Amino acid sequence: MLTSVGIWIAALLTLAIYSFLYKDNPIYKVAEHIFVGVSAGYWAVVLWSNYAWPNLFEPLVRQGNLLFIIPIIIGLMMFAPFIPKVSWLVRIPLTFTMGVSMALVIIQTVQGEILPQVRATFLPLVGVPLFQMVSNLLIILGVIFTLIFFYFSKPHKGALGIAAKIGIWFMMVSFGASFGYTIMARISLLIGRMYFLLHDWLHLI
Amino acid sequence: MKLLERLAKIDRRIIFLLVGLAAIIPLLIPIGLPVDITKPVQNVYDTIESLPEGSIVVVSVDYDPGSEAELYPATLAFIEHCFRRNLRVYMMGLWPAGIALGNDAFAEIAPKYNKEYGVDYINIGYKPGGPVMLLTLGRSVADIVNADYAGTPIDSFPLGRAVKTARDMSVVMTFSAGDPGILHWIIYFNARFGNVICGSTTAISAPRQYQYLASGQLIGLLGGLKGAAEYETLVDRKDRAIAGMDSQSIVHVLLVIFIIIGNIILLSERRKK
Repeated sequence: MLTSVGIWIAALLTLAIYSFLYKDNPIYKVAEHIFVGVSAGYWAVVLWSNYAWPNLFEPLVRQGNLLFIIPIIIGLMMFAPFIPKVSWLVRIPLTFTMGVSMALVIIQTVQGEILPQVRATFLPLVGVPLFQMVSNLLIILGVIFTLIFFYFSKPHKGALGIAAKIGIWFMMVSFGASFGYTIMARISLLIGRMYFLLHDWLHLI
Repeated sequence: MKLLERLAKIDRRIIFLLVGLAAIIPLLIPIGLPVDITKPVQNVYDTIESLPEGSIVVVSVDYDPGSEAELYPATLAFIEHCFRRNLRVYMMGLWPAGIALGNDAFAEIAPKYNKEYGVDYINIGYKPGGPVMLLTLGRSVADIVNADYAGTPIDSFPLGRAVKTARDMSVVMTFSAGDPGILHWIIYFNARFGNVICGSTTAISAPRQYQYLASGQLIGLLGGLKGAAEYETLVDRKDRAIAGMDSQSIVHVLLVIFIIIGNIILLSERRKK
């Protein structure tokens, strides 16, 4: 019974949102506001029950670990800009967050992204099948010409200008592929909704 | 010329209607267009096929209902493949709403193969913390996981006791709709612990993953609904992804026609000027 009610609500809200395709209307506005309100409530609960309570308040309240007062104080400093006299206090939590984030990101980006990606461009051009050789050559040239495009210390003229233009072409191919995939994704979402309406709601398929 | 002028001024709602019909009609009257298998999808399938029975596969449900249309069919097909091969599924999520979707997938597939919760599969729930959490999880699961999604102590389940570090995870399969998601698993987890990572992403995210496929950091990829349809074909599970492929192909053809007509109109208008 509850499932059917849920399906009916979801189906009617889907139709309400799609009604915007005809023109803006009050039914669409109602659905939009429900979505915003439910999302806000949902995230409030998620943040409390998954972040604040288990990581901060539970150890403090249930286990009596007073050390957890320190992160609460540091966290409260994030609201310091609302009080002009002590607004400088916001720098303490921001500095702490930036320091930790940078340490994490720098190490892992070098280890997990830059080095493996550079290594992946060291590709053989001899002793491999012709198709593989062409494919490898395209990757190597694509990396070199695209990097040249992002070299701004000299004006893009002459040979450098030609190389930068070839770099643009490589990027255009990449943007085209991304755009194609984006269309595919949007259509998939439409199909998903249509499947839901025809299968789960109307039982036509 | 008059036809082009008329098309240039066409009400966009007619285009919406045509796209809608192109999506709905093939769902009602399936054509059965063939689904070719691409190498990244085949790689995911082969990776799972190569695992010995009883191996533990981590399934990370890193999406929410907004991406359900693309990623849920892939989740179902993948879990069915794991259960058919008698692999154990250790589910978690970097997105809070993914956990309920993961449980739905278990509820749909597990009874078919008589799989038991806590023994053959488990859901440890949403794990916040992104990179820090993943790095700690790989080093010591106990530091991150003390209960399953429902709050039952993890040590009360045989599968919960079996996973202690990244070494106990044969493969990680992430169903990813964005951040946090597949990039975290590749850049942090794979780089630090060297685990095999496979992924299923929304079509929008898929092009970004090809560089990781080329570098070997990602072993296989199911890109969007098409990737899910390919996996359904491989595991012989004709479901919603395959059902959607006819619509996908027809809408794509329609859009290509629109793009060609739009460009003809643009060129003819430029010539006039």
